[in-house]
Parts: sequence; C-alpha cells; structure tokens
Amino acid sequence: MSGFFHYFSSHFESFRGEFWALFFGGIGSGIIYAMVAIGYTMVYGVLRLINFAHSEIFMIGGFSGFFVLKYGIGSSTPSGLSSVFFVILGILAGGIAGSLSAVVLERVAYRPLRKRGAPKIAYLISAIGASYFLINIAAKEFGRIGQSMVQPYTDHAVFTIFGAPIQMYTIIILIVSVLMFLALDRIVSATKLGRGIRAVAQDSETASLMGVNIDKTIAVTFLLGGFLGGVAGFLYAMNFGVLYSMGFTPALKAFTAAVLGGIGNLRGAVLGGLILGIVESLSVSFVNPAYIDVVAFAILILVLMFRPTGILGERLGRDA
Amino acid sequence: MENLFEVKDVSLRFGGVVSLSNVSMFQKRGEILAVIGPNGAGKTSLFNSLTGVYQPQEGTILFNPKDKPQLSIIGKKPFTVSDSGIARTFQASRMFNALTTFENVKIGAESHKGIGVLGAMFRGPATRRDEHTSDEHTWSLLEFVGLKDRANVIASALSYGERRRLEIARGLATNPEVLLLDEPAAGTNPSEKNDLAILIRKVRDEMGVSILLIEHDMKLVMSLAERLYVLNFGSVIAEGTPEQIRSNQNVIDAYLGTASEEETDNA
Amino acid sequence: MKTLLTKKTLKFVGALFILSELAAIMTGPPGNPTHQFDGFKGSLTDPTSLLGLFTTSRWIVFFVYGILASLIVYLVRTKQNVVGKVLEAQRSVSANKTFRIIFFSALVILVVLLPTLIKDAFWQNAMVSQIAVFVLLALGLNVVTGFAGLLDLGFVAFYAVGAYATAWCTGALPLPALFGIHLNTFYAIPIAIALAMISGIILGIPTLRLRGDYLAIVTLGFGEIITVFANNLNGVTGGAMGTGQVPHFAIHVGPVNYVWGIPPVPYYYLTIVFVGIFMIAFSLLEHSRVGRAWTAIREDEVAAESVGINPLKYKVLAFAIGAASAGFAGVMTAAQSNYVTPATFTLGLSINVLVLVIFGGMGSITGVVFGAVVIQTITMYLIHNPPAGYQPQDLYIYIGALLVIMMIFRPAGMIPSRRRSRTHASAASGQE
Repeated sequence: MSGFFHYFSSHFESFRGEFWALFFGGIGSGIIYAMVAIGYTMVYGVLRLINFAHSEIFMIGGFSGFFVLKYGIGSSTPSGLSSVFFVILGILAGGIAGSLSAVVLERVAYRPLRKRGAPKIAYLISAIGASYFLINIAAKEFGRIGQSMVQPYTDHAVFTIFGAPIQMYTIIILIVSVLMFLALDRIVSATKLGRGIRAVAQDSETASLMGVNIDKTIAVTFLLGGFLGGVAGFLYAMNFGVLYSMGFTPALKAFTAAVLGGIGNLRGAVLGGLILGIVESLSVSFVNPAYIDVVAFAILILVLMFRPTGILGERLGRDA
Repeated sequence: MENLFEVKDVSLRFGGVVSLSNVSMFQKRGEILAVIGPNGAGKTSLFNSLTGVYQPQEGTILFNPKDKPQLSIIGKKPFTVSDSGIARTFQASRMFNALTTFENVKIGAESHKGIGVLGAMFRGPATRRDEHTSDEHTWSLLEFVGLKDRANVIASALSYGERRRLEIARGLATNPEVLLLDEPAAGTNPSEKNDLAILIRKVRDEMGVSILLIEHDMKLVMSLAERLYVLNFGSVIAEGTPEQIRSNQNVIDAYLGTASEEETDNA
Repeated sequence: MKTLLTKKTLKFVGALFILSELAAIMTGPPGNPTHQFDGFKGSLTDPTSLLGLFTTSRWIVFFVYGILASLIVYLVRTKQNVVGKVLEAQRSVSANKTFRIIFFSALVILVVLLPTLIKDAFWQNAMVSQIAVFVLLALGLNVVTGFAGLLDLGFVAFYAVGAYATAWCTGALPLPALFGIHLNTFYAIPIAIALAMISGIILGIPTLRLRGDYLAIVTLGFGEIITVFANNLNGVTGGAMGTGQVPHFAIHVGPVNYVWGIPPVPYYYLTIVFVGIFMIAFSLLEHSRVGRAWTAIREDEVAAESVGINPLKYKVLAFAIGAASAGFAGVMTAAQSNYVTPATFTLGLSINVLVLVIFGGMGSITGVVFGAVVIQTITMYLIHNPPAGYQPQDLYIYIGALLVIMMIFRPAGMIPSRRRSRTHASAASGQE
C-alpha cells in the first residue's frame, strides 16, 4: 500500500508542474470529441439511434484531408498565407468528404430499413456492417500502417498561459471549432432546415403531418453531422496521422461525451466533449498509459449506469 | 374492510412539467371504477404510477390484496406490482407480436413461476405438470374472452377488438385482483365496443376481479362504471356516481373547454 | 423509350452503377501504402474477362454483372414469384414430420462420416477449429441476440474466459494453477463453462439495464478492455505472447488410456457431441417458459414487465447461457491448439460470429448452425485456395457488406426462425 502512495505522491509533484499543459491539451482533444459527439447527438435526435458508422465518417474525413495536403503541398512546409490556404483546404476536404459519406451511408444502410419500419436491432446491425465494411476497405486500399500528415504549417508555441505553452495547433482547432459550433447553432435554431430538424427530433409523425420532408431533413442532419465529423477527423489527423482504424477510439470517446452531456442535446455534446478531454488528459498522470482508453470507457459505463440522461438531459430542439 | 387501492396526495413531475398534483383516490374491492378527463389530464400517468412504470415524487399508493401482504407501490418495479395482483392493458395494444394468441396468454399464466432453466432442459414430470396447468388455464381464459378459435393465430393478425380481448386475457392469466384497462374501446367499432362492455362486466361478476378503467368514450364509461373520478390538469376535480358526475359544473366546464378535441378523438 | 428514361430508372441505374463499382473495388487489388490510389485505379481499370467471353476494364465488367444480376432478380420477381414458391415448397416439405426425421438422420450420419470422406489435413483441422468451434459460438450468441434480442458485440469475451480458464486450470498460465494442481483438461470443461457463465452474470447485471443501443456499445468496449487486460497483465495471462502449453484432453481410467493429440479427428467427434448437446438444450429452452419470456421481452419489454416478467433476470440468464457454449468453445480452442493468446479474441471475431447468426437467421437454431457451417466453409475455402489478389483480411469487407445486405433484403436470415420471421413480417405491415 505504501508503494502505491509513494507512486501517487511523486506523481502528484510532477502533476502540478504539468497541470496546465495537460489541461489545455485536454481542451484540444475535448473539442475534437465534441465535434464528433455532435454527429452522434444530431442523428440520435432525429432517428433515435446511435450511428455506429460515425467513426468511419471521421476516418474518411481524416484521409481526405490527408490526400489533399499530400498531393497539394510539395516537399517543403508552406508558411504565411499559403499555410492558411492549405489548412482551410484540408478542413473543407475533410468536411465535404464526411458530409458526402454520411449522406450515402444514410441512403444505403438506414433508409431502406426506415421505410420498412424495421426493429431497432436491425439498424444497429446494419450500421455495424457498414462501419466494418468501410474500415476494412480503407485498410485494403490505404494500407495497414499509420502515416503522418504532411503539415501545412510549422507547429510552434504561440504564447504561454500559466507557464503552459499554447501550440498553433490548439489555436487552430479552437478557432475552427468555435466557428463551426456557432454556425451550427444558427442553422439549427434560426433556419427553416433547423426548424425541420427540431420538429422531426420532437415528434417525427407530427412533423411529417405538418409538411416537413422527413427524408430530406434526415439527410441534412447526416450532412451536418458528417461535416463536423469529417473536419474533426482532419484536425485529429494533423496531430496523430491517418490509419484505417483511427476512428474507433476517438469515436467511442465522442460517444461517451455525447452521453455524458445528454444525448440529443447539442450543447451537452460540447460540454461532454470538453469534460471528457480534460479528465482523460489529466488522468495521464495517474494511470498506466496502457489503460488510458479504459478511463474514458469507465466514465461511459458510470454515466450510463448512474445518469443515463447525462448532465444537461436528453433533448434536441427545445433549446437546441 | 380496507379499500383495494389507497392513493394519497400523489404528485408526479417530469422536469418542470407537473403531470399529477396531489391526487388522492381509492377503490373499493369489487368495484368498477373509472377515471375520465380530457387529453393530457394525467390519466395514463396515473395508471403508470399505479403499475410501477412511473415513480411519483410525492405521496403514497397502497394496494391491499386479499391473501397477499399490503404493497406500497411507489418505488416498486412493474413486475413486482404484477406479482402482487395488479394486471393492466395498454392504450395502444401491446402484444407480443411474434407469438400466437395462445402463447401470449400463456406467458401471463406462467410468469409468476420460477425461471426453471433446468426443468426446461430436462422436462421432468414437475415441469410437464406445470406446463399442463398453464395450458389449461390459458384455454379456459381464451374461452372466457371468446378467442378460443383464434388461439393459434399470430397476435399481430388479430383485429383491434380481438387484441383488446387478448390483452384482457393475458392480464387475467396472472390471477390479478384488479384489472386496469387503459382506453379499452379505442379503435374498436360500435359492436365490438358493446361486446367489450359485456366482457368487462363479466370479468368482474364471474371472476371477482375489480376493474379500474380509463376511457374516452362517455357512453361506455357511464354505462359501466359504478363510480368515477375526473382528472383535469393532473388534479382530481370531481368524484361520484355517473349521475353526480353528469351534473357536476366543474366537469362540464373542463369538458366544454376541450369539446372539439374530444370529438376528433372519438371519431 | 420514353418509359425507360424516367427519373426512377435513371436513379436505379445510377445506384446499380455505384454498387457494382463498389463490388469491383471490394474484389480488386489492394492499395499501396505510398500510392494509395493504385488499388482503386487497378480495381476499376485492370483488364479482366467477362465470363470468359472477352476482356476489358473491370469497371465495365462489374457494371455488366450488376445489370445481369438485376435482370435475373427482375425476372424472378415478376415471373410468378419463383422465390416465394421455392420457399413455400421448402416450408411445406420441412413441416412434414417423416421428411424431417429422414433429412436430419441423413445429416447426422453425414456429420459422423465426414472425417472419413474428407482426408485433407487442412480441412480436417478446419472442421474442428474453424467450423465446429464457430458453430458453438454462433449457438451461444444466438441465445443472446436471437432469443433475447440483445446485441452483444463483446461476445468474444466469454470465449476468451473459457480459453483462459482452461489454461489456468491446467497450469499453463503464469498465474498459479487453480487448486494448485495441473488438472486434466477434461476437468477444465465444467470450470471454464462455469466461469464463463459467471462472467456473463457479472457483465450482465450492470449493463443489461441499459437500452439496446447502449448495450451494444458497452459490450463492444468490454470486449476491447478484455483484450487490453489480456495483453498487459503479463503475470496473469502471459501478456501478448499468452501461453502455448495447454495440454490435450486425455482419459486415464483403469485400463483406458487415450490422449487427444495433433490429429484433429478425435477433437472433431468430441466437439460435435457437445454441439449436439447444446443444440438440444437450447432448443428445449426456446420452447419452454424461458424461451417465451425471452421472446416477450424482445417484442415488448414494457408489456412483458406488466405481466410479471423481470426483464433483467431473464436477460442476465440469456447472457449466462449464451456464455456457456462460448466458454466451451474456448476450452476446445485452447486444448486443440495448445495456445491461448489475446490476438485470437478480437472485435473482429465478435462481428464474425454475429454474421453467422444474422446470415443463418436470428433465433433459429438450425439457421445459425447452417450459417456458421456455410460461412466458415467459404471463409476457409478462400484461405485454402485464395483467388488472385485475395488477402485473408479482405474477408472482413465482405462480412461488413453481408451484414448490411442481410438487414436490407433478408433480415430474418436464410433459415428464419418461425417466431423471428413473424416479428419482421409484423414490422413490415406497420403493426408494431
């Protein structure tokens, strides 16, 4: 037992030193979880089902950004305006590929079941099949070894807060994500499309009686969720590179974030993502790295068991 | 003699929405009691609270079965409630669609016995005797509700009226002391409605099972019920015999306010 | 001509085109990690022959295949519903009791004689380790997913428990052997089954309160966690290397001295005896009070509770019973191969087993056995005689596609369970 305390206290010393660095690192990964979590939450809102294949949307986004940068950027790392250009290009590539694949996924794997009124387990199985198909076709075509991203800029610490250096990468993710969250919030709360999404989320039968085109609304939901998921995939890949199975763990964590915040609740997804990212990042100090993924998963099980409605409660629509 | 149900000051909220507020009521043993009220008045919430599906935040619900100990329902699971002698039907009939009419009822008849995995695998004499009793019980109930010739039909192929009967038989199979019927006449045609009223009365008269009924169809309620409670916005606004209720000003007001809705509902 | 150019036909042709090109990519050459688009390019442009008639680019060939396939489907559908008639005939024949007895006895004889008919060493081994063991796994998952309607994506965990328990009992793990002595492998059977069932109960009690989709994710995570622990707890499991010292089965009773060894045939007989036992036990269970309660919970949990069924109790029971046959499969794998390593117990394996159940027919014992035998045989054939360009990992692409296709076109499986097909039929007619 004393060995344990010794381990703990010596870790605690170093923990204090690196607290802020870990904290900001956690925000960075948390924001990425949040972007993916939004995809889960939106689809859950309109279809009442977990889109198991969302992890592959993330992966496709990562690969699309990877290819655009790989073939767009030559051998030298760009700087200045051309850096900005390539970052935006990568984001658009990830987002568009994510949107397209999400819409195709909905069309192929979900819509036929929805038309038939299939039981829920059928959706889950179809989604798992689609996910498995995409993961393995990516493995076949893109190889089974990870590759690092061609960087569109030279990463460096821009400034420090509490002694913790803030990297350019973190700043980029923050700017991109905040812009996307604001845009999404506007779309969902103030446009006709958004009203459709909220109406379907509340009561799809009534919504269809009131003239909302259910098929189109669901497709738009996948499109928006897929865009965020794809962009998240690209941002993640900038740091961790690309691999066919890159979506699995981040998506499991993003799902945890969505449940933590309250599935179906957009703001909850962002909050859940941030909390999960920070907790996970800080736990690096205490937990054997081999078990780090177990932490997020333990959180998932605890939340599901003790507060399945999450922190902010389940809903989509009422207050977006 | 104690009452069958004693409901005291029950309040149920979902988030900020109050679904039941300070509801108190009772049911005498052997009574046909009805709860009426406009849409959204909290009738189904009351049913769900009585059967353990919802857990009200305040109040007490006591159930006094004849030969089982008293049960305080709040905080109990639906299957425990069922064990103590409360059976129910659902507003939109909920049957086990993949099973036959017979199997649906049989599930009710055997659900209170133990799990019996080993018995099922080895089919000992005790298991076979058990199966035999359940089968007989099931057949007698199917005959009672008039579904004997539909025994081997898949439940989803039954008509609305037949489904209602099936649900009643399934509930009765659990040997209840009271049967809670959630809008049994919804979706049935006038002749089915008539048969249903006869069946409900027969359940009480021949089987001695008390009836608690939620219903929209006023004609049916007034002809069946011996006493009524009227709910509006989650509160009891009136209680009495059908004659008393018919002339109660509160009730008339509550119903006039939603008269148009009622019509569309009954259409 | 005008009728052919409607929006609907154009849409259909477009979808057909995309799907056939997807099939071309699925079956095409693999990509190159540095030139990732070579695989796509090759899949679409490589020359290939169309039914041996002429040779041209793959994208054209596959599109033509797609058109041919849809024409066949169209003809079959419009010409007096041939499929329906065949199925009808099958159903009326299989309802005939004498026919069933003859058919199943013939099948049993065939199964018993199989090792004398197939002498090839690869296939003799595959019959045990890849087919019979997977039949056991599929039977177990069928209890969980087919009977009780619970999607368990971490089913492989019970298989792992069975295998590691065997290694533990027989003293093959770094962890000191159970009871301190190295037990004969036969004693591992009840212990492994019991431990697998207990782990089903332990895993089930917290998770089975969850809704179906949450359950799927949580079990998926548990399956992964089991692998993480098996890989890292070196002092207990032997880490990533696992163990290679699980002894074979042996009987030493009085004058009888028999040791199962490298030749797979004795293992084959041992396994199919247990397959038979599990099939009979699960079938009795399906048609008992327990099976009806499972169906009730699967169909409508709220209604099931209202008639007094405790859903959690029955779901945990399904987990435990399903785990039993998976645990036994673990014993067979450990004893026959002598090896237990974490690499065996992957998420891929869980999904592989799921496919067997879905393809055969959820809830249908005959169906899942059929599914397991057919799919595993095809898999083994592809490994034994790989077509040009086929890599063993490609299998997972087909598995994924098959899951989606089954859910769209034949959700009840190839040999549907009588109860399950009713569920799907009633869902189709919009009466839930």
